[in-house]
Amino acid sequence: MAAAQQATVDTGKVKDLLAAHRAEMKRYLSHCMHCTLCAESCFLFMARDKDPRYMPSYKVLNSLGVLYRRRGRVERSFLEKIKKIVWRNCVLCRRCYCPVGVDIPRMIALARAVCRSQGVYPDFDEQGHQESWL
Amino acid sequence: MEEFIRGPLVWIAFAVFFAGLLLQGWLFFRNTSPRQRRRLAVPEPKKKKPQKDKKTPLTPAALYAWLVNGSSACYQRHWPRLRRTVLFTHPFMTVVTVVFHTFLFAAPLLARAHNELLRRGLGAGLPSLADAAVDAMTLVVLLCGAIFLWRRLLVRRVRAITTFYDYLVLAITLAPFVTGFMAAHHWLDYHTVILVHIGCGELMLMAIPFTKLGHMIYFFLYRFLLPGEYSFGQGSRAW
Ligand code: HEM
Ligand code: HEM
Ligand code: SF4
Ligand code: SF4
Repeated sequence: MAAAQQATVDTGKVKDLLAAHRAEMKRYLSHCMHCTLCAESCFLFMARDKDPRYMPSYKVLNSLGVLYRRRGRVERSFLEKIKKIVWRNCVLCRRCYCPVGVDIPRMIALARAVCRSQGVYPDFDEQGHQESWL
Repeated sequence: MEEFIRGPLVWIAFAVFFAGLLLQGWLFFRNTSPRQRRRLAVPEPKKKKPQKDKKTPLTPAALYAWLVNGSSACYQRHWPRLRRTVLFTHPFMTVVTVVFHTFLFAAPLLARAHNELLRRGLGAGLPSLADAAVDAMTLVVLLCGAIFLWRRLLVRRVRAITTFYDYLVLAITLAPFVTGFMAAHHWLDYHTVILVHIGCGELMLMAIPFTKLGHMIYFFLYRFLLPGEYSFGQGSRAW
């Protein structure tokens, strides 16, 4: 994981990725009513005693939402943090249901792409066998 | 200032409201590729129904069988999807939000004073309901608004993603109802209250296209035009 060890973030690349999907993602972010009605549709939320941190909207707002709010200017430690959200707390099963029509999985997928572009991703070869691989 | 709020700003607000909605609609089509909208919610081509066997007599037993088979087919087809929608995961909030949105539109559209003004300004208005009915609708909207606020303040999971902006938008939505009710009942100084009411109404109209209240138009665009498992577009199960 040589790339992941580097301390810097290629902000330009992150910005490009965010810009490429800006119209769509900003639209979804701005139309999320923060109503939490999507929570029950996520099996992880149900499996974790309804912990709010597993709500689809919580996961998106605290990963992709922050990336857009900070316009891509984030540190590596932040990407490491959202790695847990977008890979462990969400498995991208695409089953979440939002009454307004916000497409949560698409947003999580973009957050993953941003992390991956900086070499931040779960390394199953090294850590996959461990209980907590993230 | 007062003249401005009572006069031109009313027209400006309506113009911003309608132009904003059109703009948002246009942006949606510009920013989604036809591929994304490809599976437009066109109904599937109807399969030719097998010719009805005209000889089957309509006995009670046949009718019963038809009812049972029909409803069980319907159940098997729709229940797996429906049971995950908010109608079944949050029956209470579904009722609250449907009632809220119904009266949110009905109360201002059917209020006597509004239609009186419309008829004066445009020469035409909608029929209006009795004042008492509109009063009741207004109070119901406010009650539902209070439930939304209660959730924001006290329910842990809602608090986890609530920001100041959510309170602001809720306030913008409810303000015309509070002030409209106050004006209709001549609470406080009528002249001031009605001015505040008109200002709040204008603010709300102008806010709709450009805040999260834009869900008013995007709800339909998302649900009808973007394919997804739960939308009316023909999404496919990925699992
Ligand atoms: C923008 C221009 C608007 C104008 C000029 C306007 C004007 C008025 C007037 C003159 C009244 C009547 C007060 C009375 O009976 O003496 C009224 C009542 C009311 N208005 Fe508006 N209004 C506007 C926008 C809105 C909006 C956007 C809403 C809500 C979405 C709204 C909701 C109400 C309600 C709920 C009442 C009270 C009805 C009742 O309880 O009987 N108004 N408005
Ligand atoms: C036809 C148009 C509309 C549709 C289909 C629609 C649909 C929805 C849906 C599905 C939700 C999420 C469920 C919930 O939070 O209960 C919602 C929430 C909400 N809507 Fe609408 N809406 C429409 C128009 C409007 C308008 C015009 C306003 C205000 C001016 C509005 C104000 C709100 C508010 C304040 C909430 C969230 C309450 C909260 O949780 O804080 N809606 N709407
Ligand atoms: S994603 Fe949809 S259901 Fe979830 S909080 Fe946002 S608007 Fe509500
Ligand atoms: S895609 Fe993620 S957020 Fe949506 S239901 Fe699956 S695990 Fe939950």
